Amino acid sequence: MANDTLTLAAVRQMAADIGLTRLTDEHVQQLLRATNAARARRDALRTLMQTQGITYADEPSHVFRLTGEHNHD
Amino acid sequence: MTDLAWLTVADAAELLRTKKLSPVEYAKALIARAERHDPHYNAYLRATPDIALDDARRAEAEIQRGEWRGPFHGVPYGLKDIVDYVGLPTTAHSKILQNNVAKTDAPVTQKLRAAGGVFMGKLSTHEFAIGGPSFDLPWPPARNPWNRDHFCGGSSSGSGAATAAGLLPAAIGTDTGGSVRNPASMCGVVGMKPTYGLVSRRGVAPLSYSLDHVGALTRTVRDNALMLDLIAGHDALDPGSANIASGGYTSQLGRDIKGIRVGVLRHFYTSDIQADAEMAASIEAAAKKLADLGASVREVSTVPLGDYLACNRTILTSEAFAVHEQWMRERPQDYGALARERLMAGAFVRAADYVNATRLRRKLTEGFHALYADVDVIITTSSMDPACRIDDPLAVEYTYARQSRAPFNVTGSPALSVPTGFCQSGLPLAMQIVGKPFSEALIYRVAHAYEQATGWVTMHPQLI
Repeated sequence: MANDTLTLAAVRQMAADIGLTRLTDEHVQQLLRATNAARARRDALRTLMQTQGITYADEPSHVFRLTGEHNHD
Repeated sequence: MTDLAWLTVADAAELLRTKKLSPVEYAKALIARAERHDPHYNAYLRATPDIALDDARRAEAEIQRGEWRGPFHGVPYGLKDIVDYVGLPTTAHSKILQNNVAKTDAPVTQKLRAAGGVFMGKLSTHEFAIGGPSFDLPWPPARNPWNRDHFCGGSSSGSGAATAAGLLPAAIGTDTGGSVRNPASMCGVVGMKPTYGLVSRRGVAPLSYSLDHVGALTRTVRDNALMLDLIAGHDALDPGSANIASGGYTSQLGRDIKGIRVGVLRHFYTSDIQADAEMAASIEAAAKKLADLGASVREVSTVPLGDYLACNRTILTSEAFAVHEQWMRERPQDYGALARERLMAGAFVRAADYVNATRLRRKLTEGFHALYADVDVIITTSSMDPACRIDDPLAVEYTYARQSRAPFNVTGSPALSVPTGFCQSGLPLAMQIVGKPFSEALIYRVAHAYEQATGWVTMHPQLI
C-alpha cells in the first residue's frame, strides 16, 4: 500500500529473493527509488480500476489467440 | 541543384528516376556532411559509408539500365540501433549487446533494402530504447541539431537528429511510450507511430511487447507517408502483426480538409499537465489554422492524461523487466544508470497488477475510440516543453514525464508528430495528430494540409 515504507535492507532482501544478487549499494538505491515509484503507480491503478468500473468480466487487452484462427471462417 | 542535404525523399526520387541525380553523388554528399558535422551531434552510433557506397553504386547501375524500383531507390536511410541489419551489431546503445551481430535483416530492413535504399548506418538510441540521454554508455548521446546543448528527445534520438540535421532524409525509429514522436517533436521533423501491428516488429529489440511500434521519421509528411507505404504490411511471424491490407498512405495528400472533424484534446496540456506557454499556444494556433483550412474544430475530452500514463508505465515496466531480468541478475553493472533504474521499476510489479493494467487498457482504449463518433482526428500536444538542456539531469527527468504520447501506445492508435513552429529560443514546437486505428492516410492528409499552409518544413538548423 501507499503507506508501506520500504527500507534499503528490505529491498536488498527482495532483490536477493529474485536472484538479483550482484547489485551494488548504488544499484540497490536505484531499485528502492524505482520500486517506490512503481508502488505509487500501483496505488493509482487500483483507484482507476474503481473509477473505470472494471468488473470481473472485463478481460485483458490482449488474450491468447490460436495461430491460424483466420483460416476457420 | 538543390542542396542535397535538404532534398526530400519525394524530390530525390524524381531526380534519381530521371537520372538528373546520381545515387553515388547523393550518398557521397551525405557521407561527407556526416563526417563534417556528426562529431558534434552523435546521431550515428555506427556510420556505414562503405555499405552506403556499395548500395548507391548498385542503385546507379540499376537505374541506368532502366530498372528503377520506386521512390526509395538510391535514397539514403538509417536505422535506430535496435533494428537488425545482417552482419552488423544491434547494440541497443548498450554495453550488454555491443557484440550482438544480427544474423538476418529485420523485415523493415529487408523492405528498405529490397526497395533499393542506401543504408547510411545505425543511429543512436537511448539504451534499450529507455535509458537516456546517458553519458555513461559506450557511445555518447545524440544532440539536438537546433542547439547541440539541448536534448534531442528519444529514444529514437539519432533518427530524429540525423533527419533534422540533413544527414539523411528518412530514418526508422521505434515507439513504446512516445519514442518516435519525442525526437520528432524536439528536432522539428515528422514522426509517425503507426497503428499497433501495422509494421512488423520482428528483428527489433523489444522493450515492451504489447506497446512497441516501428515507425518513420522524415522531414516532410509526404516522405513519411512514402516510407510507411514501404514498411507497412502483415508479417505472419510477428505475433502482434495485423492481418490487414496496407498501403495507399499518400493517396489523400493534397486534398483539402474542408469538413473534416478535428477534436482538440485540450485538457491534456491545460489542466492534466500545464504545458509550456509557447507550446500550448502553438497547438491553439494550429487548431485555428486547421479551422481556417475548412476543418470543423471542436474540443473533446477523455479521462485524465495520468490515467493513461499509469497504465502505460505499469505494462511497459513489467514487460521490459521480463526482457531484462536475466541480464539484471548477471550483468547489472553493464547498464547505464538511467536504463537500470527505469528497467528496475518492473522488478516487483505483482502479476495481478500487470493483468489489471491490461484490463484497464482495454477500457481506456474503448473509451478513447468512442470519441471518433464525433470527430475524425484529434490534435493535442506531444511534448509539454521544448527541448531542455542535455547536461541538466534534473530538467531531463522533469520533462521526461511531461508528455502526452504514451496514451496512444496504450490505445494502439496511429499518432503523428508534426512541427508547429519554434519557441523564442529557437527550439522546435510540435503537435500530435491522432486517428482511428488504420486511419494513417487521413492523418497524413490533415498533417499535409497544415504543413503546406505553414511552411515550417522549409526551415533547417545551422550546424556547427
